[in-house]
Amino acid sequence: MVPLAARAGQVSLGSGIRRASPYRFLRRHGWSYLFLIPLFALVLPFVVYPLIASVEITLYDWDGIGHPTRYVGLDNFARVIHDPLFWNAFAHTFEYAGVLVPIQLTLALALALVLNNPRLRGAAVYRAIYFAPVVTSAALVGIVVSLLLTSVGQSLNHALLQLGLVREPVDWLGSPTLALPTIIAVGIWHTFGYNLVYFLAGLQSIPRELFEAAAVDGANAWQRFRYITVPMLREVGAVILFLAILGSLQVFDLVLVMTGGGPYYASEVVSTYIYRFAFTPAAVQAEANVGYASAAAFLMGLLVMGLTALQFLAAGVLRRQRAEAAG
Amino acid sequence: MAVSLVGRRVPDRPLRRLPMLLVHLFLIGLGFLYLYPFLWVLASSFKSPGEFFEAGPSLIPAALRWDNYRDAWNIGHFSTYFLNTVIVAVSVTSLVILISSMAGFVLARTAVPGRTVILGGMVALMFLPGGYTIIPTFELVQKLGLLNTLWAVILVQAAGALVFNALLFLGYFLTIGREIEEAARVDGASFPRIYAQIMLPLARPMVATVALFQFMTNWNSFWIPLVFTLGNPALRTLAVGMYAFVGENSTGWTAICAGAVMSILPIMLVFFLLQRHFIEAVAGAIKG
Repeated sequence: MVPLAARAGQVSLGSGIRRASPYRFLRRHGWSYLFLIPLFALVLPFVVYPLIASVEITLYDWDGIGHPTRYVGLDNFARVIHDPLFWNAFAHTFEYAGVLVPIQLTLALALALVLNNPRLRGAAVYRAIYFAPVVTSAALVGIVVSLLLTSVGQSLNHALLQLGLVREPVDWLGSPTLALPTIIAVGIWHTFGYNLVYFLAGLQSIPRELFEAAAVDGANAWQRFRYITVPMLREVGAVILFLAILGSLQVFDLVLVMTGGGPYYASEVVSTYIYRFAFTPAAVQAEANVGYASAAAFLMGLLVMGLTALQFLAAGVLRRQRAEAAG
Repeated sequence: MAVSLVGRRVPDRPLRRLPMLLVHLFLIGLGFLYLYPFLWVLASSFKSPGEFFEAGPSLIPAALRWDNYRDAWNIGHFSTYFLNTVIVAVSVTSLVILISSMAGFVLARTAVPGRTVILGGMVALMFLPGGYTIIPTFELVQKLGLLNTLWAVILVQAAGALVFNALLFLGYFLTIGREIEEAARVDGASFPRIYAQIMLPLARPMVATVALFQFMTNWNSFWIPLVFTLGNPALRTLAVGMYAFVGENSTGWTAICAGAVMSILPIMLVFFLLQRHFIEAVAGAIKG
């Protein structure tokens, strides 16, 4: 960023010499502004404005039709905080992230270590196979797995019953205890490929000479992993962890298509909770309230932002520690 | 394993190859299980409704029943969903490439007054969480009279992707030397000409990466098309259409499988054709 600013400064040196008239200014920068207009024309109304407006809507009791008129102050926030179903959805969101992230990252690192072996032929083919689900949408993946559970699930249940492993057919998505774990399993499978490729990239950036030198010194495979791979992966690993947490906290599509948050809110996450209040027709859901949904969305947004800030603080501390250790 | 790297090459005797063979067997078996849901949905899209339940796990249908595809295409409205998805994916991808490369070019190459403020604002936007502002966006689209048009989906999706991609282009343009550009300027090339005929072609690798990811993201997008087509089923994209199709379930499971194949196959083909580029772009994101 610094050399960039310096370069920009050099270029504009000439403008101070003669008094700039509006005409000269336009002649000089007109094209630049013209080229920026499309960006502003889309980002200001569809990104910046909603950020500001979303705060205002939280202060109204509003069903989403016409102008919001019934000002209720911070009432919506109070109601969200006192709604056990919000905390239910909140807990599920963190359960989703808290179970998915460690399992997915451990498995991804393990497979990346296998695929990173220089003597393994066809690693690129395997990499493509394990990456493939990532390119499909979560909504479609959710639907396909639901269909799979309907069809194959029946055969599976038949086998399980005959083997006497279960007493009654397993209803993967219809049971309150199994719905969320099933969704988590699908989530692990679907986005696994990203983390595999991230870890592979991280592993490939470690100089091979380090391993060779350690091997010469008599370090075994575990010692090489523990004292070379782990420390060398720390920085990339922190980014991978952060991206995985942020991504999984925003889970929506999978839950909506697989269970809709049910049965009886047993798999509801914050995003489907918000969706339920904001976009379910009043005919279906008596409590449809856009102001209320906005308050819930605002709280969750604030939390995610807090986590982002925390991550950057942690990264900063880590970097400083490393710099001190190195210097 | 690294022992062989030290130079004392051990001759490749069959016994030494055995562990590697086991690794391959494991990876192939796991890979098969990994892709099983996709293979299964492909097989099921040709099955009869009875077969769907009786021969559930089987990957070989008794006969190729194309009727399922016909039903999904006509009765399930997949012809409409397919066209909508193509329109959205292609328009958003083109808009994002054009607008973000233009902005990235200006911010990387000119000393436009206000540059620091604009850059600061863009970086700040990257830190704010997205996805929680759908309600006011919805209200705005309604006020603009764009609700229940594909424009709503296209503009909202494109807007959300612009800042990040403009920063990507900005970074890329900064790495390109100034010599060619300055030579062109001396030769009297105009500002738009330098952008379109010199800088954009030089940024071709970045354009390809952005195109790939935007196409994939928009082919798959669910949340925004879902919300903005709630009032008009004729505007549904494939993912949203599939969701509705399952809910209405007018034509049976096997037709839904056919719909799923039609939604997944195009993007899978794009991926396997360009997989190296795809994966390197993803890997690049973590290294850079």
